[in-house]
Amino acid sequence: MRFSRKEAWGVLLHKGARVLLVALVALFVLWPWLPGVSAIPTRTLVLYGFSILGEVMNQSVFPAFQANWLARTGERVELISSFAGSGTITNQMILGVPAEVAILSLELDALRLVQAGTLPGETWKTLPFAGVLNRTPFIILVRPGNPKGIADFSDLTRPGVGVVHPDPLTSGGAQWAILAEYYSALLATGDEQQAYDQLLGVWNNVVAQASSARAARTQFENGFGDALITYEQEALRDRALGKLNADIVYPASTILSEHIVVVLDNNVKPDQRAVVDAFVDFLWSEAAQRLFTQYGFRSVHEQLNAENADFGLIQRPFIVDELGGWPRAKQDIIDAIWKQRVLVEAGS
Amino acid sequence: MKNKGYLPISLLLAVLLPLLLMPLAAIFVFAGRGGWDSLVSVLSSADAQFALRFSIIIASLTAIINAVLGTYAAYVLSKYRFRGREALSVIVNLPVAIPTVVVGTSLLLLWGPIGLLGQFLDPLGIQPMFAPAGVLLAHLFVTFPYMLGAVKPVLDELEVTYEEAAYTIGASRMQTFRHVILPALKGGLFSGTLLTFAHSLGEFGATVMVSGNLRLRTQTGPLYIFAQFEAGNLEAANAVAAVLAAFSFVLFFSMLRLTRRRGRAD
Repeated sequence: MRFSRKEAWGVLLHKGARVLLVALVALFVLWPWLPGVSAIPTRTLVLYGFSILGEVMNQSVFPAFQANWLARTGERVELISSFAGSGTITNQMILGVPAEVAILSLELDALRLVQAGTLPGETWKTLPFAGVLNRTPFIILVRPGNPKGIADFSDLTRPGVGVVHPDPLTSGGAQWAILAEYYSALLATGDEQQAYDQLLGVWNNVVAQASSARAARTQFENGFGDALITYEQEALRDRALGKLNADIVYPASTILSEHIVVVLDNNVKPDQRAVVDAFVDFLWSEAAQRLFTQYGFRSVHEQLNAENADFGLIQRPFIVDELGGWPRAKQDIIDAIWKQRVLVEAGS
Repeated sequence: MKNKGYLPISLLLAVLLPLLLMPLAAIFVFAGRGGWDSLVSVLSSADAQFALRFSIIIASLTAIINAVLGTYAAYVLSKYRFRGREALSVIVNLPVAIPTVVVGTSLLLLWGPIGLLGQFLDPLGIQPMFAPAGVLLAHLFVTFPYMLGAVKPVLDELEVTYEEAAYTIGASRMQTFRHVILPALKGGLFSGTLLTFAHSLGEFGATVMVSGNLRLRTQTGPLYIFAQFEAGNLEAANAVAAVLAAFSFVLFFSMLRLTRRRGRAD
């Protein structure tokens, strides 16, 4: 083959451009391993968390712990983390991901870890506040201006109100929501039949079910239904960021979800013990708990919640202990009432 | 002769616009919506940088290993006759048809800490899953057929007379492969490697299962995008998506230019 001089330059230029491109990409890829660049941290900590915790942990709580650890030991610790649905990360841990600490959306998932042998026993009970890291109540999101006049869970049973609900078979948030829908009526009336009727009424109005609380939010934002039952934290966070295109309705009585910290001792190597323990202690420190409230979570330290004016008033909040703890609530309400009666009746 | 009719061209564009071009453009539009500053700050974050870097490393390794492995498999399947050859030819192509999530799950159930083989490796301190090695294993599996598909047809079509001629003048199998077969394979090798690289760069389903999706350790570009999307950070997701898309564009464009020039030079 023969080239004119111009063509030869063109080929050379092309070749040069290609070599340059490859060299640039290689430089970018190999950068952390080049001498004189120490981008690889000395120590790491592996944390798995359920979805709504991702932002606060990565942006605030962990950097605060990082500074704290650096000041105390002179060592830089980097967070290796993964955030997904609580059920998903629980399954991953059962399959053996190298998590050292995990934050789950409900105690049931922690109990599943015990059942699978991933945890030797209910070890989170020995942590501060029996492993409860923070709380957030379940509230109702409605369209701007509340056109359907929804003021409480009981209004969600009215004909013509469309409810978007996460699927309790896969979503931790949905299970909290069911307890709220049932027990709030039981508290108000003291009558199990009326509590059942309220739960059934809400479920008769469910127009869309999503696999997770997050996915249900997306459906609601895309115009499905008139109301969504979800975490107060997400709604407050969105409002703070100016992204909330809905009104928050506080039920007179609702459940506060409790998020559980578990330490996976089997995955903690001896030389990691100190940093893991320090991190877990830090989670309940006033500094960390204040950061949680700034991101819309309610702290386990009550006095900190008073500092955040965003938190709405709930006349009669309750926690799962009032229902006899998660194993009983799951058996008596989720399985016996919702799954075996409501689901059958609402489906027919 | 090249046709100059404008109707077929506009028809093609009309079909491709909503199907292909607009979704691709949307990536860049949404990536740029937060403004230049937010794009830069996203791309300079440790997470995004690691994800891109890790993706490129895994894709390069996958492409190199499968280039060798795929060519070897294609050579054996094309040049040797043995029982079960047909069945094997079908089986090695299966990874294209199996959902990648299934691939990831089966790798976990084989190599994971509680898996069939993994439970014996775990006490020895060997844990391929939830580590870069696991991601590489998954990508090798998923992309294996691409190399094979690019090389095997060329080998099948190759006239045996050249090979026989080489043998008659005393060339060994190795020499014949090196001097007769390999030059003919150049085009297939090249496009197969690029296809493998590009596919590995975008792999999601198997990776999300075997990696544990850990930031700064096993999170690839696509996993980063999904994690950011889940967390509601559309700008961050689209910024990295735009980089991956642009990178793939440059890759394929240079491939096209290169093969076209070679075609002209011959």
